[in-house]
Amino acid sequence: MNLWPLVLLATTASAQWINYPTPGIPRTPDGKPNLAAPAPRTADGKPDLSGLWEPAARGADPQFTDIAKNVAGGLPFQPWAADLVKARRADLNKDDPDGHCQPLGLVKMHLHPYPRKMIQIPGLLLILFERNTTYRQIFLDGRPLPEDPQPGFNGYSVGKWDGDALVVESTGFKDGLWLDISGTPLTDAAKVTERYRRWNFGNLEIDITVDDPKAYTKPWSIQVNQTIAPDTDMLEFVCQENEKDVPHLVGK
Amino acid sequence: MIKLILTLAAGAGMASAQWLNYPTAGIPRTRDGKPNLSAAAPKMADGKPDLSGVWMADGQTYFFDLAAGLKPEDVVMLPWAKELQQKRIDNEHGDDPLSRCLPHGVPRVNTNGLFPFKIVQTPGLVVILYEQMNLFRQIFLDGRTLAKDLNPTWLGYSTGRWDGDTLVIETSGLNGKAWLDTQKSRPATDALRVTERFRRTNFGTLEVVATINDPKTYAKPWTTTTQKMFLQLDTDILEFICNENEKDLPHMPVGK
Repeated sequence: MNLWPLVLLATTASAQWINYPTPGIPRTPDGKPNLAAPAPRTADGKPDLSGLWEPAARGADPQFTDIAKNVAGGLPFQPWAADLVKARRADLNKDDPDGHCQPLGLVKMHLHPYPRKMIQIPGLLLILFERNTTYRQIFLDGRPLPEDPQPGFNGYSVGKWDGDALVVESTGFKDGLWLDISGTPLTDAAKVTERYRRWNFGNLEIDITVDDPKAYTKPWSIQVNQTIAPDTDMLEFVCQENEKDVPHLVGK
Repeated sequence: MIKLILTLAAGAGMASAQWLNYPTAGIPRTRDGKPNLSAAAPKMADGKPDLSGVWMADGQTYFFDLAAGLKPEDVVMLPWAKELQQKRIDNEHGDDPLSRCLPHGVPRVNTNGLFPFKIVQTPGLVVILYEQMNLFRQIFLDGRTLAKDLNPTWLGYSTGRWDGDTLVIETSGLNGKAWLDTQKSRPATDALRVTERFRRTNFGTLEVVATINDPKTYAKPWTTTTQKMFLQLDTDILEFICNENEKDLPHMPVGK
Protein backbone atom coordinates (compact mmCIF):
# COMPACT_ATOMS: atom_id res chain seq x y z
CA MET A 1 0.00 0.00 0.00
CA ASN A 2 1.35 3.37 -0.92
CA LEU A 3 1.49 5.44 2.24
CA TRP A 4 2.82 8.74 1.01
CA PRO A 5 -0.54 10.19 -0.12
CA LEU A 6 -1.54 10.13 3.58
CA VAL A 7 0.99 12.79 4.41
CA LEU A 8 0.22 15.06 1.49
CA LEU A 9 -1.47 18.21 2.65
CA ALA A 10 -4.34 19.15 0.37
CA THR A 11 -3.66 22.86 -0.16
CA THR A 12 -6.11 24.84 -2.21
CA ALA A 13 -4.86 27.25 -4.84
CA SER A 14 -6.10 30.39 -3.10
CA ALA A 15 -4.72 33.79 -3.92
CA GLN A 16 -1.14 33.81 -2.67
CA TRP A 17 1.66 33.76 -5.19
CA ILE A 18 0.43 30.54 -6.72
CA ASN A 19 -0.35 32.42 -9.93
CA TYR A 20 2.19 35.25 -9.92
CA PRO A 21 4.16 35.46 -13.18
CA THR A 22 7.82 34.60 -12.62
CA PRO A 23 10.09 37.47 -13.72
CA GLY A 24 12.78 36.78 -16.30
CA ILE A 25 11.24 33.72 -17.98
CA PRO A 26 11.68 33.62 -21.77
CA ARG A 27 8.26 33.75 -23.40
CA THR A 28 6.76 33.07 -26.81
CA PRO A 29 4.90 35.93 -28.58
CA ASP A 30 1.62 34.84 -26.92
CA GLY A 31 3.17 35.25 -23.47
CA LYS A 32 3.52 31.57 -22.62
CA PRO A 33 6.75 30.40 -21.00
CA ASN A 34 9.17 29.18 -23.67
CA LEU A 35 10.57 26.03 -22.09
CA ALA A 36 12.59 25.22 -25.23
CA ALA A 37 14.62 28.43 -25.04
CA PRO A 38 18.33 27.94 -24.37
CA ALA A 39 19.42 27.38 -20.77
CA PRO A 40 20.38 30.66 -19.12
CA ARG A 41 23.93 31.36 -17.98
CA THR A 42 25.41 33.26 -15.07
CA ALA A 43 27.81 36.18 -15.51
CA ASP A 44 30.79 33.79 -15.41
CA GLY A 45 29.43 31.81 -18.36
CA LYS A 46 28.32 28.75 -16.41
CA PRO A 47 24.83 27.29 -16.85
CA ASP A 48 22.38 28.76 -14.36
CA LEU A 49 20.33 26.06 -12.65
CA SER A 50 18.15 28.60 -10.82
CA GLY A 51 14.42 28.07 -11.05
CA LEU A 52 11.43 26.34 -9.52
CA TRP A 53 11.59 22.67 -10.52
CA GLU A 54 9.23 19.72 -10.25
CA PRO A 55 9.34 16.12 -11.47
CA ALA A 56 8.78 15.90 -15.22
CA ALA A 57 6.04 13.33 -14.51
CA ARG A 58 4.02 16.07 -12.68
CA GLY A 59 3.45 14.26 -9.40
CA ALA A 60 6.12 12.17 -7.82
CA ASP A 61 8.94 10.91 -10.01
CA PRO A 62 8.08 7.24 -10.76
CA GLN A 63 11.28 6.23 -8.97
CA PHE A 64 9.92 7.72 -5.72
CA THR A 65 8.05 4.48 -5.06
CA ASP A 66 10.82 2.20 -6.32
CA ILE A 67 14.19 3.70 -7.10
CA ALA A 68 15.25 0.52 -8.93
CA LYS A 69 12.42 0.92 -11.44
CA ASN A 70 14.73 1.66 -14.38
CA VAL A 71 17.83 -0.22 -13.20
CA ALA A 72 18.31 -3.20 -15.48
CA GLY A 73 18.69 -6.35 -13.39
CA GLY A 74 17.70 -4.54 -10.20
CA LEU A 75 20.01 -3.12 -7.54
CA PRO A 76 23.25 -4.92 -6.58
CA PHE A 77 22.17 -5.48 -2.97
CA GLN A 78 24.28 -6.92 -0.23
CA PRO A 79 22.17 -9.82 1.09
CA TRP A 80 21.14 -8.02 4.30
CA ALA A 81 19.98 -5.00 2.30
CA ALA A 82 17.79 -7.12 -0.01
CA ASP A 83 16.26 -8.79 3.05
CA LEU A 84 15.63 -5.40 4.64
CA VAL A 85 13.69 -4.12 1.64
CA LYS A 86 11.59 -7.31 1.59
CA ALA A 87 10.84 -6.93 5.32
CA ARG A 88 9.90 -3.25 4.95
CA ARG A 89 7.58 -3.95 2.04
CA ALA A 90 5.96 -6.82 3.97
CA ASP A 91 5.30 -4.39 6.81
CA LEU A 92 3.63 -1.85 4.49
CA ASN A 93 6.58 0.56 4.79
CA LYS A 94 5.16 1.77 8.10
CA ASP A 95 8.54 3.10 9.21
CA ASP A 96 9.06 5.28 6.14
CA PRO A 97 10.60 8.44 7.62
CA ASP A 98 8.32 10.46 5.32
CA GLY A 99 5.29 9.24 7.25
CA HIS A 100 6.95 10.41 10.47
CA CYS A 101 7.75 13.88 9.18
CA GLN A 102 11.48 13.18 9.17
CA PRO A 103 13.80 14.54 6.47
CA LEU A 104 14.07 12.37 3.38
CA GLY A 105 17.69 12.96 2.43
CA LEU A 106 18.98 14.41 -0.81
CA VAL A 107 18.25 11.46 -3.12
CA LYS A 108 14.62 10.93 -2.18
CA MET A 109 14.05 14.68 -2.20
CA HIS A 110 14.91 14.76 -5.93
CA LEU A 111 12.05 12.31 -6.49
CA HIS A 112 9.49 13.96 -4.20
CA PRO A 113 6.41 15.45 -5.91
CA TYR A 114 6.54 18.90 -4.29
CA PRO A 115 8.39 21.72 -6.05
CA ARG A 116 11.88 22.84 -5.11
CA LYS A 117 13.57 26.15 -5.88
CA MET A 118 17.22 26.20 -6.89
CA ILE A 119 19.10 29.44 -6.33
CA GLN A 120 22.56 29.62 -7.79
CA ILE A 121 24.97 32.34 -6.66
CA PRO A 122 28.78 32.40 -6.84
CA GLY A 123 30.06 29.80 -4.40
CA LEU A 124 26.69 28.26 -3.50
CA LEU A 125 23.81 26.32 -4.99
CA LEU A 126 20.92 26.56 -2.58
CA ILE A 127 17.88 24.32 -2.87
CA LEU A 128 14.68 25.32 -1.06
CA PHE A 129 12.09 22.54 -0.72
CA GLU A 130 8.38 23.01 -0.33
CA ARG A 131 8.31 19.71 1.53
CA ASN A 132 8.75 20.72 5.16
CA THR A 133 9.90 24.24 4.20
CA THR A 134 13.50 23.12 4.39
CA TYR A 135 16.73 23.69 2.47
CA ARG A 136 19.97 22.11 1.30
CA GLN A 137 23.29 23.84 0.61
CA ILE A 138 25.75 22.71 -2.06
CA PHE A 139 29.04 24.59 -1.74
CA LEU A 140 30.72 25.61 -4.99
CA ASP A 141 33.54 27.59 -3.37
CA GLY A 142 36.24 24.93 -3.64
CA ARG A 143 36.08 23.72 -0.06
CA PRO A 144 36.83 20.02 0.45
CA LEU A 145 34.32 17.60 1.90
CA PRO A 146 34.68 17.52 5.68
CA GLU A 147 36.55 14.65 7.33
CA ASP A 148 34.73 12.96 10.21
CA PRO A 149 31.61 15.12 9.91
CA GLN A 150 28.65 15.05 12.24
CA PRO A 151 26.25 12.78 10.28
CA GLY A 152 23.18 14.41 8.77
CA PHE A 153 20.12 13.51 6.73
CA ASN A 154 21.43 15.55 3.79
CA GLY A 155 25.10 14.98 4.42
CA TYR A 156 27.57 17.57 3.16
CA SER A 157 27.79 18.54 -0.47
CA VAL A 158 30.44 20.21 -2.62
CA GLY A 159 30.19 20.81 -6.36
CA LYS A 160 32.28 21.84 -9.34
CA TRP A 161 31.68 22.29 -13.05
CA ASP A 162 32.62 19.70 -15.62
CA GLY A 163 31.85 21.55 -18.83
CA ASP A 164 28.15 22.31 -18.67
CA ALA A 165 27.44 19.70 -16.00
CA LEU A 166 27.56 20.47 -12.28
CA VAL A 167 29.11 17.50 -10.47
CA VAL A 168 28.25 17.29 -6.78
CA GLU A 169 29.80 14.92 -4.24
CA SER A 170 28.13 14.24 -0.90
CA THR A 171 29.17 12.29 2.18
CA GLY A 172 28.46 12.41 5.90
CA PHE A 173 25.05 10.78 5.81
CA LYS A 174 23.50 9.40 8.95
CA ASP A 175 22.75 5.71 8.86
CA GLY A 176 19.32 4.34 8.05
CA LEU A 177 18.08 6.66 5.30
CA TRP A 178 15.40 5.42 2.87
CA LEU A 179 15.98 6.11 -0.81
CA ASP A 180 12.37 5.44 -1.80
CA ILE A 181 9.01 4.36 -0.37
CA SER A 182 10.02 0.71 -0.70
CA GLY A 183 12.73 1.25 1.89
CA THR A 184 15.82 0.89 -0.29
CA PRO A 185 18.60 1.65 2.19
CA LEU A 186 21.45 4.16 2.29
CA THR A 187 24.10 3.73 4.98
CA ASP A 188 26.60 6.07 6.59
CA ALA A 189 29.28 4.65 4.31
CA ALA A 190 27.60 6.13 1.25
CA LYS A 191 29.07 8.59 -1.21
CA VAL A 192 26.50 10.07 -3.58
CA THR A 193 27.43 11.81 -6.83
CA GLU A 194 24.94 13.99 -8.72
CA ARG A 195 25.43 15.40 -12.22
CA TYR A 196 23.07 18.29 -12.98
CA ARG A 197 22.58 19.27 -16.61
CA ARG A 198 20.09 21.93 -17.67
CA TRP A 199 19.77 21.15 -21.35
CA ASN A 200 17.29 23.91 -22.17
CA PHE A 201 15.36 26.51 -20.25
CA GLY A 202 12.65 24.16 -19.07
CA ASN A 203 14.45 20.87 -18.49
CA LEU A 204 16.90 19.57 -15.92
CA GLU A 205 18.48 16.15 -15.94
CA ILE A 206 20.05 14.82 -12.74
CA ASP A 207 22.15 11.65 -12.88
CA ILE A 208 22.60 10.18 -9.41
CA THR A 209 25.21 7.55 -8.56
CA VAL A 210 25.09 5.78 -5.20
CA ASP A 211 28.38 4.27 -4.04
CA ASP A 212 27.57 2.54 -0.74
CA PRO A 213 29.68 -0.60 -0.21
CA LYS A 214 27.92 -1.44 3.10
CA ALA A 215 24.60 -1.96 1.30
CA TYR A 216 25.54 -2.65 -2.33
CA THR A 217 28.17 -4.75 -4.03
CA LYS A 218 28.93 -1.99 -6.55
CA PRO A 219 27.84 1.59 -7.38
CA TRP A 220 24.62 2.07 -9.31
CA SER A 221 22.97 5.02 -11.06
CA ILE A 222 19.58 6.46 -11.89
CA GLN A 223 18.43 9.45 -13.94
CA VAL A 224 15.92 12.00 -12.71
CA ASN A 225 14.12 14.43 -15.02
CA GLN A 226 12.62 17.67 -13.80
CA THR A 227 10.85 20.52 -15.55
CA ILE A 228 10.45 24.17 -14.72
CA ALA A 229 7.25 25.13 -12.87
CA PRO A 230 6.65 28.65 -14.21
CA ASP A 231 4.51 31.44 -12.79
CA THR A 232 4.00 29.90 -9.38
CA ASP A 233 5.84 29.46 -6.09
CA MET A 234 6.22 27.11 -3.17
CA LEU A 235 3.72 27.00 -0.33
CA GLU A 236 4.60 26.52 3.30
CA PHE A 237 4.33 22.90 4.39
CA VAL A 238 4.87 21.93 8.03
CA CYS A 239 4.47 18.17 8.19
CA GLN A 240 4.27 17.88 11.98
CA GLU A 241 1.42 20.42 12.34
CA ASN A 242 -1.75 18.61 13.44
CA GLU A 243 -0.16 15.30 12.47
CA LYS A 244 -2.73 12.51 12.88
CA ASP A 245 -1.47 9.68 10.70
CA VAL A 246 1.24 8.11 12.85
CA PRO A 247 -1.09 6.08 15.13
CA HIS A 248 -2.47 4.43 11.98
CA LEU A 249 0.91 3.39 10.60
CA VAL A 250 0.85 -0.08 12.14
CA GLY A 251 1.91 -2.38 9.35
CA LYS A 252 0.43 -5.84 9.07
CA MET B 1 60.04 26.06 6.92
CA ILE B 2 58.29 26.81 10.22
CA LYS B 3 55.73 28.91 8.36
CA LEU B 4 55.02 25.92 6.07
CA ILE B 5 54.53 23.60 9.04
CA LEU B 6 52.18 26.07 10.68
CA THR B 7 50.19 26.38 7.46
CA LEU B 8 49.95 22.59 7.14
CA ALA B 9 48.86 22.30 10.77
CA ALA B 10 46.23 24.98 10.24
CA GLY B 11 45.02 23.17 7.10
CA ALA B 12 44.63 19.88 8.95
CA GLY B 13 42.65 21.64 11.67
CA MET B 14 40.29 23.22 9.14
CA ALA B 15 39.50 19.93 7.36
CA SER B 16 38.26 18.22 10.52
CA ALA B 17 34.65 17.96 11.71
CA GLN B 18 32.16 19.70 9.45
CA TRP B 19 32.45 23.26 8.21
CA LEU B 20 32.49 24.75 11.68
CA ASN B 21 36.01 26.01 11.13
CA TYR B 22 36.06 26.79 7.42
CA PRO B 23 37.26 30.35 6.81
CA THR B 24 34.65 32.73 5.48
CA ALA B 25 35.71 34.31 2.18
CA GLY B 26 35.89 38.05 1.65
CA ILE B 27 36.32 39.28 5.21
CA PRO B 28 38.07 42.66 5.39
CA ARG B 29 41.17 42.43 7.54
CA THR B 30 43.38 44.79 9.51
CA ARG B 31 47.06 45.02 8.73
CA ASP B 32 47.89 42.21 11.17
CA GLY B 33 45.45 39.86 9.45
CA LYS B 34 42.62 40.00 11.99
CA PRO B 35 39.03 40.32 10.75
CA ASN B 36 37.93 43.95 10.66
CA LEU B 37 34.29 43.77 11.60
CA SER B 38 33.95 47.55 11.87
CA ALA B 39 34.84 47.99 8.21
CA ALA B 40 32.12 49.42 6.02
CA ALA B 41 29.17 47.18 5.11
CA PRO B 42 29.62 45.62 1.66
CA LYS B 43 27.41 46.41 -1.31
CA MET B 44 25.92 44.36 -4.11
CA ALA B 45 26.77 45.05 -7.76
CA ASP B 46 23.62 47.20 -8.02
CA GLY B 47 24.82 49.44 -5.18
CA LYS B 48 22.38 48.13 -2.59
CA PRO B 49 23.72 47.02 0.81
CA ASP B 50 24.64 43.35 0.90
CA LEU B 51 23.17 41.66 3.95
CA SER B 52 24.58 38.22 3.05
CA GLY B 53 26.29 36.29 5.79
CA VAL B 54 25.84 34.01 8.76
CA TRP B 55 24.31 36.06 11.59
CA MET B 56 23.17 35.43 15.12
CA ALA B 57 21.13 37.47 17.58
CA ASP B 58 23.10 38.88 20.49
CA GLY B 59 21.74 36.72 23.31
CA GLN B 60 18.14 35.74 23.87
CA THR B 61 16.73 38.95 25.33
CA TYR B 62 14.14 39.48 22.58
CA PHE B 63 13.45 35.75 22.30
CA PHE B 64 12.32 35.82 25.93
CA ASP B 65 10.67 39.26 25.75
CA LEU B 66 10.11 40.91 22.38
CA ALA B 67 9.20 44.18 24.14
CA ALA B 68 12.52 44.35 26.02
CA GLY B 69 13.47 47.97 26.64
CA LEU B 70 9.97 49.33 25.96
CA LYS B 71 7.80 51.03 28.58
CA PRO B 72 4.70 49.13 29.79
CA GLU B 73 2.40 51.70 28.15
CA ASP B 74 4.01 50.98 24.76
CA VAL B 75 2.49 47.50 24.51
CA VAL B 76 -1.25 47.56 25.20
CA MET B 77 -2.86 44.13 25.08
CA LEU B 78 -6.60 43.72 24.70
CA PRO B 79 -8.25 41.98 27.69
CA TRP B 80 -8.60 38.55 26.04
CA ALA B 81 -4.93 38.62 25.14
CA LYS B 82 -3.82 39.59 28.63
CA GLU B 83 -5.83 36.69 30.00
CA LEU B 84 -4.31 34.26 27.54
CA GLN B 85 -0.83 35.55 28.22
CA GLN B 86 -1.27 35.02 31.96
CA LYS B 87 -2.57 31.49 31.41
CA ARG B 88 0.49 30.70 29.32
CA ILE B 89 2.83 32.14 31.94
CA ASP B 90 1.05 30.21 34.74
CA ASN B 91 1.57 27.07 32.68
CA GLU B 92 5.31 27.86 32.44
CA HIS B 93 4.88 28.34 28.67
CA GLY B 94 4.48 24.57 28.28
CA ASP B 95 2.11 24.98 25.33
CA ASP B 96 4.61 26.87 23.23
CA PRO B 97 4.28 25.50 19.66
CA LEU B 98 8.03 25.99 19.27
CA SER B 99 8.62 23.28 21.88
CA ARG B 100 6.51 20.99 19.69
CA CYS B 101 8.83 21.50 16.76
CA LEU B 102 6.50 23.96 15.04
CA PRO B 103 7.93 27.13 13.51
CA HIS B 104 8.60 30.27 15.56
CA GLY B 105 6.70 32.72 13.44
CA VAL B 106 7.85 36.23 12.59
CA PRO B 107 9.74 38.12 14.03
CA ARG B 108 10.53 35.59 16.78
CA VAL B 109 12.41 33.43 14.26
CA ASN B 110 15.22 36.01 14.19
CA THR B 111 15.56 36.41 17.93
CA ASN B 112 17.00 33.22 19.39
CA GLY B 113 20.67 33.91 19.98
CA LEU B 114 21.51 30.23 20.40
CA PHE B 115 21.14 29.51 16.69
CA PRO B 116 22.57 31.33 13.66
CA PHE B 117 20.77 32.10 10.43
CA LYS B 118 22.16 32.73 6.97
CA ILE B 119 21.03 35.53 4.68
CA VAL B 120 21.45 34.78 0.97
CA GLN B 121 20.77 37.92 -1.05
CA THR B 122 20.01 38.08 -4.78
CA PRO B 123 18.58 41.16 -6.55
CA GLY B 124 14.93 40.05 -6.62
CA LEU B 125 14.88 37.67 -3.66
CA VAL B 126 16.39 37.53 -0.20
CA VAL B 127 16.37 34.10 1.39
CA ILE B 128 16.94 33.54 5.10
CA LEU B 129 17.98 30.04 6.17
CA TYR B 130 17.38 29.37 9.87
CA GLU B 131 19.41 26.72 11.65
CA GLN B 132 16.76 26.28 14.34
CA MET B 133 14.08 24.03 12.82
CA ASN B 134 15.90 24.01 9.44
CA LEU B 135 13.46 26.51 7.92
CA PHE B 136 13.67 29.18 5.24
CA ARG B 137 11.88 32.42 4.50
CA GLN B 138 11.65 34.06 1.11
CA ILE B 139 11.46 37.84 0.93
CA PHE B 140 10.48 38.97 -2.55
CA LEU B 141 12.03 42.21 -3.78
CA ASP B 142 10.65 41.99 -7.31
CA GLY B 143 7.80 44.43 -6.81
CA ARG B 144 5.03 41.91 -6.16
CA THR B 145 2.43 42.93 -3.61
CA LEU B 146 1.14 40.93 -0.70
CA ALA B 147 -1.99 39.13 -1.90
CA LYS B 148 -5.30 39.44 -0.13
CA ASP B 149 -6.93 36.30 1.25
CA LEU B 150 -3.70 34.54 2.07
CA ASN B 151 -3.57 30.90 3.10
CA PRO B 152 -2.34 31.38 6.71
CA THR B 153 1.13 30.06 7.51
CA TRP B 154 3.65 30.05 10.34
CA LEU B 155 6.21 32.26 8.62
CA GLY B 156 3.91 34.36 6.47
CA TYR B 157 4.46 35.93 3.07
CA SER B 158 7.10 38.62 2.84
CA THR B 159 7.93 41.41 0.44
CA GLY B 160 10.86 43.76 0.81
CA ARG B 161 11.97 47.15 -0.47
CA TRP B 162 14.95 49.39 0.14
CA ASP B 163 14.55 52.57 2.16
CA GLY B 164 18.02 54.06 1.81
CA ASP B 165 20.32 51.52 3.42
CA THR B 166 17.52 49.75 5.26
CA LEU B 167 15.71 46.67 3.99
CA VAL B 168 12.05 47.04 4.96
CA ILE B 169 10.23 43.70 5.05
CA GLU B 170 6.44 43.48 5.24
CA THR B 171 4.93 40.19 6.31
CA SER B 172 1.33 39.08 6.53
CA GLY B 173 -0.64 35.87 6.09
CA LEU B 174 0.53 34.67 9.50
CA ASN B 175 -1.63 32.03 11.15
CA GLY B 176 -1.81 33.55 14.65
CA LYS B 177 -0.66 30.30 16.23
CA ALA B 178 2.96 31.28 16.85
CA TRP B 179 3.83 33.11 20.06
CA LEU B 180 5.66 36.42 19.80
CA ASP B 181 8.07 35.54 22.59
CA THR B 182 8.86 32.88 25.17
CA GLN B 183 8.88 33.96 28.82
CA LYS B 184 6.37 36.73 28.09
CA SER B 185 4.30 34.35 25.91
CA ARG B 186 2.66 37.17 23.98
CA PRO B 187 -0.18 36.17 21.67
CA ALA B 188 -1.07 37.30 18.17
CA THR B 189 -3.82 36.52 15.70
CA ASP B 190 -4.03 36.08 11.96
CA ALA B 191 -4.58 39.82 11.71
CA LEU B 192 -0.90 40.30 12.53
CA ARG B 193 1.25 42.27 10.11
CA VAL B 194 4.93 42.59 10.89
CA THR B 195 7.34 45.17 9.51
CA GLU B 196 11.01 44.34 10.01
CA ARG B 197 13.77 46.80 9.29
CA PHE B 198 17.21 45.30 8.68
CA ARG B 199 20.21 47.64 8.54
CA ARG B 200 23.82 46.50 8.25
CA THR B 201 25.61 49.24 10.18
CA ASN B 202 29.09 47.87 9.51
CA PHE B 203 30.66 44.70 8.22
CA GLY B 204 29.95 42.69 11.35
CA THR B 205 26.70 44.17 12.68
CA LEU B 206 23.07 43.95 11.61
CA GLU B 207 20.46 46.02 13.44
CA VAL B 208 16.89 44.78 13.39
CA VAL B 209 13.74 46.52 14.51
CA ALA B 210 10.25 44.99 14.22
CA THR B 211 6.82 46.62 14.31
CA ILE B 212 3.91 44.50 15.53
CA ASN B 213 0.57 45.54 14.08
CA ASP B 214 -2.29 43.31 15.23
CA PRO B 215 -5.46 45.27 16.03
CA LYS B 216 -7.21 42.10 17.23
CA THR B 217 -4.60 41.70 19.99
CA TYR B 218 -2.92 45.06 20.66
CA ALA B 219 -4.68 48.41 21.02
CA LYS B 220 -1.98 50.07 18.91
CA PRO B 221 1.04 48.97 16.87
CA TRP B 222 4.29 48.75 18.77
CA THR B 223 7.90 48.71 17.68
CA THR B 224 10.72 46.82 19.35
CA THR B 225 13.90 48.44 20.51
CA THR B 226 16.95 47.78 18.33
CA GLN B 227 18.13 44.20 18.28
CA LYS B 228 21.72 43.55 17.27
CA MET B 229 22.81 40.56 15.20
CA PHE B 230 26.52 39.79 14.86
CA LEU B 231 28.30 38.21 11.91
CA GLN B 232 29.49 34.69 12.65
CA LEU B 233 32.89 34.03 11.09
CA ASP B 234 34.40 30.85 9.74
CA THR B 235 31.34 28.77 10.39
CA ASP B 236 28.04 27.74 8.87
CA ILE B 237 24.56 26.70 9.86
CA LEU B 238 24.18 23.06 10.89
CA GLU B 239 21.35 20.65 10.28
CA PHE B 240 18.78 20.74 13.09
CA ILE B 241 15.87 18.31 12.95
CA CYS B 242 13.68 19.04 15.96
CA ASN B 243 11.42 16.00 15.72
CA GLU B 244 14.22 13.47 15.34
CA ASN B 245 14.22 11.26 18.45
CA GLU B 246 12.04 13.82 20.24
CA LYS B 247 11.63 12.81 23.89
CA ASP B 248 10.67 15.99 25.71
CA LEU B 249 6.97 16.19 24.96
CA PRO B 250 5.77 13.81 27.70
CA HIS B 251 7.60 15.98 30.24
CA MET B 252 6.08 19.30 29.19
CA PRO B 253 3.82 20.95 31.80
CA VAL B 254 0.17 20.50 30.87
CA GLY B 255 -2.49 23.16 31.31
CA LYS B 256 -4.09 23.46 34.71
